[in-house]
Amino acid sequence: MGSLTKKKTLAIMALSAMIGLLLLPIVVSVPALASGGGAPAGGPPPDVVKKEGGEGDKDKKIEKARDVYYKTEGIVSGLPAPKTGDNSKDYPRYNFESRVLLWFANQQHLYYGSFVLAVPIFCMVIEFMGVMTKDKAMGKKYDQLAYDFIKISLTAYSLTAILGGILIFTFLTLYPAFFGYLSSIFRPVMHIYALMFVAESGTLYIYYYGWDKMKEGFLKWIHLSMSVILNVIGTVLMFLANSWIGFMMSPAGVDEQGRFLGNIWHVIHTALWNPLNVHRILGNMAFGGGVVAAYAAYRFLSSKTDEERAHYDWMGYIAMSLGVAFLIPLPLPATWLMREVYAYRQQMGITLMGGLLAWLFIIQATMIGILFLSTNYYLWQALGRMRGAERFQRWIKYFVFLLVCGFLVFITPHTMVMTPAELKAMGGQQHPVLGNYGVMSAKNGGINVIITTTVLTFIWYQRGNRVPSVSWSKFGNIFMGVFFFFAYVNIIWLAIYGYFIPANVRVGLSVPQVATTLSCLFFMTALNLSMLKGAKQIGPIEWGKISVRSQYALIMLATAFTWMMGLMGYIRSSVRLFWHVNEIMRDNSPWAYTHTVGFAANMISFNVLFFWISIMFVFWLGTLAAKKAPVEAKAPVPGQAPQPAVGH
Amino acid sequence: MSALNNPVIAVIVSVIIAVSYFTFVDHALMDMQGLDYWYLFRK
Repeated sequence: MGSLTKKKTLAIMALSAMIGLLLLPIVVSVPALASGGGAPAGGPPPDVVKKEGGEGDKDKKIEKARDVYYKTEGIVSGLPAPKTGDNSKDYPRYNFESRVLLWFANQQHLYYGSFVLAVPIFCMVIEFMGVMTKDKAMGKKYDQLAYDFIKISLTAYSLTAILGGILIFTFLTLYPAFFGYLSSIFRPVMHIYALMFVAESGTLYIYYYGWDKMKEGFLKWIHLSMSVILNVIGTVLMFLANSWIGFMMSPAGVDEQGRFLGNIWHVIHTALWNPLNVHRILGNMAFGGGVVAAYAAYRFLSSKTDEERAHYDWMGYIAMSLGVAFLIPLPLPATWLMREVYAYRQQMGITLMGGLLAWLFIIQATMIGILFLSTNYYLWQALGRMRGAERFQRWIKYFVFLLVCGFLVFITPHTMVMTPAELKAMGGQQHPVLGNYGVMSAKNGGINVIITTTVLTFIWYQRGNRVPSVSWSKFGNIFMGVFFFFAYVNIIWLAIYGYFIPANVRVGLSVPQVATTLSCLFFMTALNLSMLKGAKQIGPIEWGKISVRSQYALIMLATAFTWMMGLMGYIRSSVRLFWHVNEIMRDNSPWAYTHTVGFAANMISFNVLFFWISIMFVFWLGTLAAKKAPVEAKAPVPGQAPQPAVGH
Repeated sequence: MSALNNPVIAVIVSVIIAVSYFTFVDHALMDMQGLDYWYLFRK
């Protein structure tokens, strides 16, 4: 015990030293940051400054201006945002829409970036579980799993860097005026970003290549600590990148002409920065879980032996569980983000959810429904690998009924896309029948029914091959049944109640609806786990003995994640309409219009297809690497599933 | 605890807890937003 504490203390000290060294560049640059990054961002080149200085500092006028968001006064330290024109100087071009090229480069970089940020977080969690578990065999299995995860992300990491390079070159060559302005504002941030990227690369390579050398004792703790550092750096990197898109949507730290006012923190900390940060962390985790689950499914489907199938079945299950664990709370930061968008500019929120882009939200609802349907389908299939779970099969049809009802309500639109002639014939935007449906309280009811049913499916999965044996199990079962029943009643009641009260009261109903779902998630999962302590095993879990269809469900899940991410990225970006930087720098290129829903959907599908073809290549490369045989994958403890972070 | 294992008592107790809890959640969370959950009934 004393030795373990000593090792932990030393590991923490080593970790602190490493963090200190890695963050040193930021600490050193803090004075420069405080003054806006040394020389004024966006200001004239040094030789010009020298000349001006030569004319005498006495004559130099200090101009002050007001921050467009913070409303504070600051010294003007940069040039105004350039006023561009539709010419080849501001917008050099090929005989092709530049925006589409940029869209492609940006989306691919984001896909890979999200993936390589999420996977190390999974590695950290799984490696930690491996270190902490008392079962040595399970510890090795977790360690192997974490290694498998990081192995996939390593090749993807190189691709992320390459795509980042392509993205910058695309910006520089096709949107030089805009990128010049953005980099003049964010100059110090971009330099720190580059340094952090170097630090991340170094840490990742040491983490990966040092895996075998650092597998025991104190070195293992150091290794684990490095995964913490890796994730701290990765998260900071993402936050910095988010500050750029936050600035483009809700600029701050500049005056109304776009002149930098000397406070770089204001430029970073815009109205939407924090909601974007939280939303993206959870989104990346859900996406990463989906991609790793698809990788496991791919390996499962191409496995030649039972051992391999068992290992990749387990891997797919854990990745899916992690992904869904982050998917379920994802609507919360999404709501926060939308709320902040409305608070920042109401018109922007209306454009998103009630205007030009509203139909894309219907597509989003469909994708969310598909995500949950795939998850439930996978879990029902996964019951097949447990002996004793057959008793649940006959109830699945009722779950399907609930899910389909929730899904249909959730995707019902309030208005329809129509031609002017159709609009005239109908006498207005509101359809006489459809216009009664598709309001938010009903839609919230739909999605909450779907999520609650997913929670119920998880709970049943946890019980698959086990029967509670605690003395109060009868009461526990009845209480759980009653609680779920009234949760459904409450959600549906609130959805209906919304039709009878004014919109300004109705708007608040989403909060108790979400709280009801979360109550089921947290209370019922906790209750179930306490009931399953020392539960009677009625059969083993036979990893690898699962239908092939389940693996396609995992691939479907990952594809739906990817499509939805592309869709939401497009929505978030296109809400700026004809602005590069909202209300500061206008987009005067010939492509400053909003695409049709059909074109956007095709473009998103192309991006998804390209990503999956390229990531399949990455997966294939992974199989070429020296194979580490799965450790004792064949024989998990009979009747007991390996314990992932979430779920069974 | 043995009384709670009686199904009738268990159902009654569970219903009381669940209904009270969800009513409290609805009321409290609307109230926190400055909204009246009982709007329709007070009208």
